[in-house]
Amino acid sequence: MKLERLISPDRRILYLLIALGTAIPILVRIGFPVSATPPVEAVFDAIAQFDADDVVLLSFDYGPNVAPECSPMGEAILRHCFERRIPVILIAFFPVGGITMAGEVIERVLSEYPAVRPGEDYVFLGYKDGAQAAMKQMGVAFANVFPVDNDRRPLAELPLMQRVTNYSDISLVVTLTTNVIGDWWINLVNAQFKVPIAIGATAVSAPKFYAFLDSGQAIGMLGGLKGASEYEHLLVAAYPHLRPLYERPGFYTAMKGMDAQTVDHALIMLFIVLGNLFYLLAKRRKARPSAV
Amino acid sequence: MFWKLRLPLILTLLVGSVPVVTFFLTDRVPGVSFVRDKVEGYMVIIYGFALLLGVVNVIQSSVRKIEQRRSGWPFAVSLLAGLFVMGGFGILSAIRVGPFQGLLANAGGGMTPFSWMTSHMFNPLQAAMFSLLAFYIASAAFRSLRVRNLDGAMLIGAAFIVMLGRTPLGEYAFGWLPGGETWLPRVTDWIMAIPNTAAQRGIIIGAALGAASLSLRVILGIERSYLGAQEK
Repeated sequence: MKLERLISPDRRILYLLIALGTAIPILVRIGFPVSATPPVEAVFDAIAQFDADDVVLLSFDYGPNVAPECSPMGEAILRHCFERRIPVILIAFFPVGGITMAGEVIERVLSEYPAVRPGEDYVFLGYKDGAQAAMKQMGVAFANVFPVDNDRRPLAELPLMQRVTNYSDISLVVTLTTNVIGDWWINLVNAQFKVPIAIGATAVSAPKFYAFLDSGQAIGMLGGLKGASEYEHLLVAAYPHLRPLYERPGFYTAMKGMDAQTVDHALIMLFIVLGNLFYLLAKRRKARPSAV
Repeated sequence: MFWKLRLPLILTLLVGSVPVVTFFLTDRVPGVSFVRDKVEGYMVIIYGFALLLGVVNVIQSSVRKIEQRRSGWPFAVSLLAGLFVMGGFGILSAIRVGPFQGLLANAGGGMTPFSWMTSHMFNPLQAAMFSLLAFYIASAAFRSLRVRNLDGAMLIGAAFIVMLGRTPLGEYAFGWLPGGETWLPRVTDWIMAIPNTAAQRGIIIGAALGAASLSLRVILGIERSYLGAQEK
């Protein structure tokens, strides 16, 4: 085969390899080991200290395009809260599908916890446009922004919301974010109302949030699919009865997704090595004086 | 002149100043909390109107494209069809008209037309669009990521370490050495926590200063392009 063809191969071959590298590990579980990193442990430990007197606010600030990364985070955090009987308030600020992402996560997790009572153990406030303005006004009163919950029940009628007025009644805000909404939780809500913030960010946006971890403006972070799989790993270790759920065939989890991501990362690294190897060979051949 | 230029500038000055000024004043100053809460309350409503403005803009530009039969006009037709069908069901479900009782689930717990379209059309399409990135990255990795100079070598080296450290591969790579399974994850954490954070801070502080200066120009009426006027 000519070197030129190796330097610039048919794209379809690369695409096929990536497709297989993604599909096969999802269909046939490899089970790469997962170990937790400090930013993920910090979020897990914070929630592990809470009890029924605390309230966690879970904000769905992402859309369906990053659901494979962020939805497992939401599910694992919601399961952790329900296991510890920590009341949860759920909201959505992402305009393109945030509310449906929240709805899907709640529906999936609620089916596992039939004893959890709506209005008492959790409240789903729904979506509100204009996240910045809404976040600031929630510092005065949640009811100013969400007068009713997603099922149109007035907040005053919900037992959980009778003890939550504004951020001063919230123990932790967890934002599952893909874009600037995560920044606003930090530089508006944490900076002005001093509420602890935990971040669940996509792998693409995670590097930005390291600056907020180091400054103490965020207590911890789940970075991408890896962060989500680490949280699942900690959750299963703390609550072994959840293991069958996370190992159930056909049930998507971040730990299973990590297998595909690991294989794809390996393939991309192989592509970089091969691409450079063929490039250097071609360069050397070009530099060699002609035999004629 | 007054209605088109001076009044919007006065409104911008007043409304833009309130969040800044009230941030530095305590609630003990009379009227602060009243003015702040009113402005913030109205901001939530005005954001909704901004969304409406966006929808009107999309409709106008798409209709123009279809009328003039510009290139790609059939896509504008499908965009408008999606907007009206999904938006229509969304509005009917949100305000609960007739059989459409609820946005995500109807009264019996079943799917609404809006939630069906979201789950079976919108979500898979969004996910498919984003997942195409993996294929483009793989292709770019083979064809474009070349070690042409020292900068390129450093970039690729860091990318390699982070990619290895962000997967269990990093633990396998040196796992055969005593304590080696933590080497690459540690180097990855160091890259993310030190050089990455330093660069991110520069970007964040620079962007914040830029946003603050632009906001100040808008509040003081120096920047007027948002009114469709030329700068003076």
